[in-house]
Amino acid sequence: MVDIGHIALIIAFVAAVYSAVASAVGARSGSGALIMSARNGILVIAALYTLALAAMMYAFVTKDFSLKIVAEHASKDLPTIYAFSALYADKAGSVLFWGWLISLFAAVLALRKHSSYKQITPCALSILGVILAFFLALVTLVVNVFDKNPVPTTDGFGLNPLLQNFGMLIHPPLLYVGFAGFAVVFAFVMAALITRSPDIEWTGGIRRWALFAWCALGLGNLVGMWWSYNELGWGGYWAWDPVENAGLMPWLLGTAFIHSTVMLRKRNYLHTWSFVLVIITFVFVLLSPFITHGGIESPLHGFYASNYPPYILAAMLVTLVGSLGLLYIRHRGFEEKEKPLSFISREGAFLLTNIIFVVLVFLIITGVVLPRIVEGVGGSKMALDRDYFDWSCGPIMLALFFFMGICATLGWRKSSWHSLRRNLLYTLVPALIIAIAILISGIGNWYSVAALICGFPLITIFLEWFRGTKSRHRANRENYVRAFFYLIWSNKPRYGGFIVHIGIILIALSIIGSSFYGAESTATLDIGESMTVGDYELAYDDLTLKEDSSKLKAIASISVSRGDKLISTMHPEYNYWFTQMATIAEVAVRTTPAEDLFVSMAWTSYDPEDESATFRALVNPLLVWMWIGGGFILLGGVIAFWSDRRRQPRSEVNSK
Amino acid sequence: MRKRYLIGGVILIAAVGYLLYMALGSSTVYYVTVSELLDKGQDAYETSIRVAGKIADGSIEWNAEELELKFAVVEGNASLPVIYEGARPDGFKAGADIVVEGKYHSDKIFRASNILMKCPSKYVPEEE
Repeated sequence: MVDIGHIALIIAFVAAVYSAVASAVGARSGSGALIMSARNGILVIAALYTLALAAMMYAFVTKDFSLKIVAEHASKDLPTIYAFSALYADKAGSVLFWGWLISLFAAVLALRKHSSYKQITPCALSILGVILAFFLALVTLVVNVFDKNPVPTTDGFGLNPLLQNFGMLIHPPLLYVGFAGFAVVFAFVMAALITRSPDIEWTGGIRRWALFAWCALGLGNLVGMWWSYNELGWGGYWAWDPVENAGLMPWLLGTAFIHSTVMLRKRNYLHTWSFVLVIITFVFVLLSPFITHGGIESPLHGFYASNYPPYILAAMLVTLVGSLGLLYIRHRGFEEKEKPLSFISREGAFLLTNIIFVVLVFLIITGVVLPRIVEGVGGSKMALDRDYFDWSCGPIMLALFFFMGICATLGWRKSSWHSLRRNLLYTLVPALIIAIAILISGIGNWYSVAALICGFPLITIFLEWFRGTKSRHRANRENYVRAFFYLIWSNKPRYGGFIVHIGIILIALSIIGSSFYGAESTATLDIGESMTVGDYELAYDDLTLKEDSSKLKAIASISVSRGDKLISTMHPEYNYWFTQMATIAEVAVRTTPAEDLFVSMAWTSYDPEDESATFRALVNPLLVWMWIGGGFILLGGVIAFWSDRRRQPRSEVNSK
Repeated sequence: MRKRYLIGGVILIAAVGYLLYMALGSSTVYYVTVSELLDKGQDAYETSIRVAGKIADGSIEWNAEELELKFAVVEGNASLPVIYEGARPDGFKAGADIVVEGKYHSDKIFRASNILMKCPSKYVPEEE
């Protein structure tokens, strides 16, 4: 079974090389037979990849410890459902999974009827063939993912208990779906450049792929934060660690690209810029495994230290130089057909937003690589702590929210000062008055002003919805609820985008609330003693010790009261895992719309005679809105994605 | 039009430069190994430093009542005594990789304001 997997991957590698060449030659010579053959090659790769992955999962599920990867990441007592977590935990295993997704997406592309694309799709498949060949080489030639275990064992090392969590089951695949999706977008853009296809017909397809990848990547990052918050016991969700930044940067660039596709579609504007964005996004997608595989040292995340980084670095350089070179040669065919008429227009605001996203990524990547550069030129080894990121990115992000609000009030081409003034009068002026009132009255501080800036686009969205609904209500005599849903349905990309904006705003408010308005307390308590955090009183009532096959559990019982009223009982755990010989806390969280109460046990002796234990308690205001915001992003993404299914006439889209 | 782009560009670069300057100034922490820190001796007193190493066997003293954690960080033969006030982090055990952040004092004890355990999200077993 194991040999089947390895052989399948090797054949797939050969097929990928063949498909890449045949598809390119076929597209160039217009040979239909060659194009079809290459297309079938792509389908074969997807089938072989699936076979290899199935063989791998079979080995994990049956706990075949003769395989090195299984022995290193699984153990007899590992629940079957975490076989996938064990796969992602391996350096080559994660690359196998990622490559498999790319092969699936390539197959979807190959199976689509593409009469309208003609040359572009074969050309894009050729690029994907090259990418697939690279990924296949990584798991066969560089490292054999099906390597035999040199020392026979009866049990494996086991999976880190922290990864045995639902969040970790879906966090990596979501990221890889996003990464693989951006590979497809990149392939399309390269194909458009190579085949000199200046018509924008392909942007419809590209927009959907980008939206899909962007949504998956964003949710993947969010699930990672959810995992960090609920599993790691430090009470936070983001530490600006290089590994986290690696997932954030392509997402930010993808966000910029999605906004520039709107310009492509509606105004046939910003071609070259959009191409540059896609290329850079893909380079940052490749940067991600470079960082996680130890190319850049991460203080928090343990090393995967593989021998991949040099190969990935080479791939990044080839991609960057090759694609930017190609763009330079071909960009004249894509000259802007229309310059924006005014800065005070939606084009102007979109362009500015795009630039801000790129600046944001520039600041983050500077924080990631600057310490390495300083070290490389002979300086002392240094690091930038999270203050760097907070203070450089925070103000830029606030600026983004400001423009998010402004943008919705601007019209295409040229907005008159008059209409802008009128719109701002209803939104920005009240916001400003409230901000000044907050500062003067002393009930708030600069952080509440920041929250207000994030809330500003919320007001403009609601205002826009209110106006649209009202005019539909008047014109079509629809009731308000009906009118509202028809309004959203009539221009799904626009209103789907607004719903995503609401999600992002909720996340921003949650970050501000939990970062600046929380409370924290740590104490060691004996049974019967209590501690306070915020306006909660936590009484330590009882400790229970329980043992199962993999761990010794210490379960505390804590009564939570507020103002003499008992409101809840919480059960944080502190567990000793036998295989790993490590203690790991299971936190208890009590969630309300206003705030989370987070309790983690940081120590106990497991001695039945001494039941004292150390607890860390945090109050995190508004935290639940972060996950609700994720729901809005998903909803808005689906609505915006839906829109292309029935192509709307351009005139209708523009009139709204 | 050109002039406008130029002015916009200059403003943008100035703003980003200012942010970078402000952010970099306050947040640079130097990384040293245990032996480098010991070699530096009094030159290293009272500056913010990060030291990476492993938690020494048998060095952990945890005072739960006072929330005080004493241990030693080792790297090769060099050993650095550390005091940290706060909760004991998850996965804190002898032999674990750790980064301590704080200041080295004239009493030859490192007072950590922050301790970072390597998050083993990409867990690799110790290989012999």
